[in-house]
Amino acid sequence: MAVFVDLNISHTVDKKRLQNIIETAAHLGYSTVAINHVVDLQQKKQEIGKPKCVSELFDQFPIVQGKSRPIKVLNRLTLVVSEASHFRPTNEFKSYDVVAVFPKTEKLFHAACMSFDVDIICIAVTEKQPFYFKRPPVNGAIDRGVFFEISYVPAIKDSTMRRYTISNSLSLMETCKGKNVIVSSGAEKPLELRGPYDIANLGLLFGLSEGDAKAAVSTNCRAVLLHGETRKTALGIIHTMKKIEPTAERREEEEAPVLKRARTEAV
Amino acid sequence: MVRFKSRYLLCELCVSDQSSLQLLDDRAVFTGVRGAVCRAHGDYGAALCSVSFAVKYLNADTGVVFLRCRKSHYRILWSALPFITHLENRGQKVPCAFNCLYVGGTIRTCQKFLIRYNIQQLHRMLPHCHNEAERLEVRRAVLNCSLKSLEKEEEEDE
Repeated sequence: MAVFVDLNISHTVDKKRLQNIIETAAHLGYSTVAINHVVDLQQKKQEIGKPKCVSELFDQFPIVQGKSRPIKVLNRLTLVVSEASHFRPTNEFKSYDVVAVFPKTEKLFHAACMSFDVDIICIAVTEKQPFYFKRPPVNGAIDRGVFFEISYVPAIKDSTMRRYTISNSLSLMETCKGKNVIVSSGAEKPLELRGPYDIANLGLLFGLSEGDAKAAVSTNCRAVLLHGETRKTALGIIHTMKKIEPTAERREEEEAPVLKRARTEAV
Repeated sequence: MVRFKSRYLLCELCVSDQSSLQLLDDRAVFTGVRGAVCRAHGDYGAALCSVSFAVKYLNADTGVVFLRCRKSHYRILWSALPFITHLENRGQKVPCAFNCLYVGGTIRTCQKFLIRYNIQQLHRMLPHCHNEAERLEVRRAVLNCSLKSLEKEEEEDE
């Protein structure tokens, strides 16, 4: 049995509801979920705050259906960008496990695919896609290991959204041929979540083949998480951590430039 | 003799409030699912699915539903299930979600899976018991019920 992941659970201030959603996700069989913090960079004075520690959410995380392990909760940041100058990789990114970008224009989509240091590129599902997906940026994204995300909750809620979701995802599948696609929820209520096998089947409507649809909720999501982990580490090889003891801080400072050097060399 | 091959979808109804499951009956599920197929796949899909489509079983306590469909078109039915957000019965709306647990070729395999699944659920829930008395209560309740009478009914169904 595969490990299922849902990388998009909307963050709400309401702690009770968030707990409810995560419990439902565990019941449905998701092993890992990511809480999504959306930041719209177009609006002024939007700060990328540090995410709340997930361990505050539960005393004891619910056990996943069919497994004996508790559910894993991660933090995810989604940046809505409409101008290229808005996207600036900052230190705050490092406190999130996964970083996604939602490009509004074709130029930004190209830039997101080719150069932005992100894990996920969101595809519009609530409106008609304002541009066509061109082959070169999509292929570039696939080569870099960046994934495209389709969220299904708007499709469940409303009939017109369903049309947009299906038509946009079909036009994406024409270019990417089912590779590097993940399907996630974007749920705000517990009843909006669907089981992983249902989603794998729903992928057929989105133009994915059977194998790709199942990969979209399991293996591809795992690849996203690993890609996100490489941001915190130097190419996934070296990982530096801050020690709690004050004496260890000096050593930490010495180590930091080494990490930087390793990164720049690799780039 | 060649029989018509069917697929049985073993689904679980997820609701926020367990007591609202009592409002549902076979007909409500039937019309709800048929409406969803109609909305998702249009007249053509609804026609394909309506061949031998039936709600075989509905347990109002646990929210388990068996749906039957022809083998050739069960994917059309299945892909419409996620779009159900509520079911209606006698003017009362019950917000719910279908979670497909198993797809089987016969009712018998579905039943086997369901028993295994329910045992799993029991193991999942037992740690939530607060004290030893509750745990004993559950054990007594499990030992009290017998499958004999249920099995007889199932055999008659098949």
